Amino acid sequence: MVTQTSLRKKNPLVSIFKSIFKSPQKVIAPLVALAILLIIWQILASGENVSLPSPTKVIADTWDPYIIDPFFDNGGVDKGLFWQILASLRRVAIGFSLATVVGIALGILIGSNKLFYSALDPIFQVLRTIPPLAWLPISLAAMRQADPSAIFVIFITAIWPIIINTTVGVQQIPQDYRNVSKVLRLSNLTFFFNILIPSTLPYIFTGLKIGIGLSWLAIIAAEMLVGGVGIGFFIWDAYNSGYMSEIIIALVYVGIIGLLLDRLVSFIASLVVAEEQQ
Amino acid sequence: MSSFIEIDQLDKIFPLADGGQYIALKNIDLKIQKGEFISLIGHSGCGKSTLLNMISGLDLPTNGGVILEGRQIQGPGPDRMVVFQNYSLLPWLSVRQNIALAVNEVMGNLPVGERKAIVNQAITMVGLRHAANKKPGQLSGGMKQRVAIARGLAIKPKVLLLDEPFGALDALTRGNLQEKLMEIVEENHVTTVMVTHDVDEALLLSDRIVMLTTGPEAHIGQILEVPIPRPRHRLEVVNHPSYYALRNEMVYFLNQQKRTKKGKSAVAPLTIAANGLEKINLNLGFIPLTDSAPLIIAQEKGFFAEEGLTQVTLSRENSWKTIGLGVAENRLDAACMLAGMPLSMTVGAGGKQPLPMVTAMVLSRNGNSITLNKKFQAKGVKTLEDLQRAIASTPDAVHTFAMVHPASMHNLMLRYWLASGGIDPDQDVSLTVIPPAQMVSNLKAGNIDGYCVGEPWNSHSVIDDCGYVVATDLDIWPGHPEKVLGVTQEWANKYPSTHLALIKALLRACEYCDDRRNREEVLGILAKPEYVGVPKEYISPGFTQPYRRNLEDEPENLLRYNQFFVDQGNYPSRAEGLWILTQLARWGYTSFPRNWVEVLERVRRPDLLGEACRQLGLPDFEPNRQNFSLFDGMVFNPDDPLGYLERLTIKRDFRVSEILIDEPVS
Repeated sequence: MVTQTSLRKKNPLVSIFKSIFKSPQKVIAPLVALAILLIIWQILASGENVSLPSPTKVIADTWDPYIIDPFFDNGGVDKGLFWQILASLRRVAIGFSLATVVGIALGILIGSNKLFYSALDPIFQVLRTIPPLAWLPISLAAMRQADPSAIFVIFITAIWPIIINTTVGVQQIPQDYRNVSKVLRLSNLTFFFNILIPSTLPYIFTGLKIGIGLSWLAIIAAEMLVGGVGIGFFIWDAYNSGYMSEIIIALVYVGIIGLLLDRLVSFIASLVVAEEQQ
Repeated sequence: MSSFIEIDQLDKIFPLADGGQYIALKNIDLKIQKGEFISLIGHSGCGKSTLLNMISGLDLPTNGGVILEGRQIQGPGPDRMVVFQNYSLLPWLSVRQNIALAVNEVMGNLPVGERKAIVNQAITMVGLRHAANKKPGQLSGGMKQRVAIARGLAIKPKVLLLDEPFGALDALTRGNLQEKLMEIVEENHVTTVMVTHDVDEALLLSDRIVMLTTGPEAHIGQILEVPIPRPRHRLEVVNHPSYYALRNEMVYFLNQQKRTKKGKSAVAPLTIAANGLEKINLNLGFIPLTDSAPLIIAQEKGFFAEEGLTQVTLSRENSWKTIGLGVAENRLDAACMLAGMPLSMTVGAGGKQPLPMVTAMVLSRNGNSITLNKKFQAKGVKTLEDLQRAIASTPDAVHTFAMVHPASMHNLMLRYWLASGGIDPDQDVSLTVIPPAQMVSNLKAGNIDGYCVGEPWNSHSVIDDCGYVVATDLDIWPGHPEKVLGVTQEWANKYPSTHLALIKALLRACEYCDDRRNREEVLGILAKPEYVGVPKEYISPGFTQPYRRNLEDEPENLLRYNQFFVDQGNYPSRAEGLWILTQLARWGYTSFPRNWVEVLERVRRPDLLGEACRQLGLPDFEPNRQNFSLFDGMVFNPDDPLGYLERLTIKRDFRVSEILIDEPVS
């Protein structure tokens, strides 16, 4: 137990390799499942007049330039997948960062003040159920520009889970820690940095993890609507042009990036949050 | 006065969700000296942690307070550092940082280097230098607790409060840490209060062990002094001669508490008869005496009716024996009883079947005197010493003294008085039981040489010039409990609201009786033939008029001769009850109950009086729990009744045995 946790703390990759050797079943089984899926897909898509391209056809269609050269740039929206994804990630980064700062601040405020909590929590509960894209027309109308509107959608999508989880985190600061701070008569500043923030971190990261997932979901849809460079519009553009293989390869990338984003947040959390709290 | 921490009549009441309230702690009184190590022990849920929290200031008492060095505690502060049950270390800080957080915050005025030195010293003290940079998550439970103790002591608190500090540790770690804690505490002379449920731990560490009764209304049941010399060592303390006696005492106390809880749980109350009460037609017994006034006044002034008891009959009884029988046989619902009767009935004094009784209030205090035959006055007997000489000078004569009931305060105090003057009440004189109203005629007839009784039967002899008062209660034990309200436990459980209404009515009557503006009116009522039935001039001495000890001397003003309400007079103090139990055992009426805490918890019920007070809007009665002494100055310590019994010289052979209250009554 102890060695495992300390390893994971040092380097997640090491433990991944370790676990491959320890329990090969966990790695081999999904690979086999994937292979079977691909074979079934290949068989189903290999007949005449099938609109869905088979896996081999997808690779053949997109090998050049999308797979071998993700960095080409022909101007306009005709760019390699790296640039497309980078554009999307940039929007997510801006919107999500804003949401993180505002969300954590609001969450701490609401969590530590009963009046604010009872006043604002019901409103937030309603707002958080609004689907991300429903915000798009309003933000377009308000900002009249594609890019800020997309960023706003990311912001408004990611902020609710961050606020709500931070609020809960602040409210759930163990009474023990509060007692310690009362007995020692900790100043507000010391309490904030030494008790409130560290104790709330696990909750904040839960919020961030949900938020980043939602942001990635929202950016694809938002870009389809607002256009410009970005993986979302790339998919929409490919559809309009009838390039099914391009859509499929883009989806694979979208999935992998989404997974990596989620893991990235978890990784940061594992660095920041104390072991006993995890 | 000079105590370091003073917990003063502290109550803690928690409001309940249904609008009611839960009285967790009631009337806690404790004085702690500087440098003392106190353990609080009791069953879980008895409020010991709550009490600790109130010393720390994390929780504030509902009534009363905690005073540290003369200042009331209003909130938590680093001068009372707490070591919490679950360590409460901050998991994101290393051992050093955890301690430094406390040191920097509390001793921020010291230079950085000095603070660092303090932190290092604290880490060294608990032997954790090798782990100073580890986080709590990497430490074992014992190490975490050591960090918590180091953090606690590093800031040099005046008081260290430990909440079950070793509860979660294995036996070996616990033992080592206990020794370590002892060392550290002794070195630093810290006053320590520790909550624990481990009797051995308490014995090893404490100077005094405070045992709390089981809640609701938990209070201090007994305080044990641990006379084992320091420094103590875990493996050696067991060899101390008193170790197992003390340990047994604690285990016994805790076991008693389990049973007490069982006895108090009420049978489902009967259906309501009228006025919100289960029973309104009550038959209450009294004896024609001045101090039956509360019952008589509650009836005459309509207090019973106002509390919903609209059909009360007062039954004038001939003797205390018939009162006891009447209540036991349910002919009487309740009675104005002698203070010792409920206890002696509960423990089955005189070989009788024990009958659990309940006393929720004292109805009167004082009011008795010892009257001697005129012939002693001729011999110049004015004091106890004179009497002793007179009796010793006539060894052949049989001197007979009368009292009203073996369990009466008259008997116990007469015996105490005689014995402290060197007169053995069983061998040097003869004591006999005579009902109060027949005292005077027996004295006149020469059947007895003196008696101890309540008024008006002393003044009667004085005025009729056949006797004189040699001592009053105020000379022997001012403010002793005299008459109490007695009901059977079965009755109290069956009619709880009725019982409460009865207590309320009597409490109001007691207050009325003690208002001197009402005394003339009360006097007139008492003199009526259906009550005491003697002319007013016999009742008035000591009641409305100055008290006459004899016809020759000037009457004295004895304002407290009959005390019904003032000075928290109605509080059924368990310590006073305990004194009565020691005296019943002293004279061989009963063995001393080993489970005296249980007996007193069940018989004497200040919680019921408190409830009545709250319903009436009166302030709660909360006398101090402290040692007291009678006229001879021998101190009665309610934590050491057997020691008191041992110190009394004239006594019968007494036994100590467990008295099971819940034996089925056939």
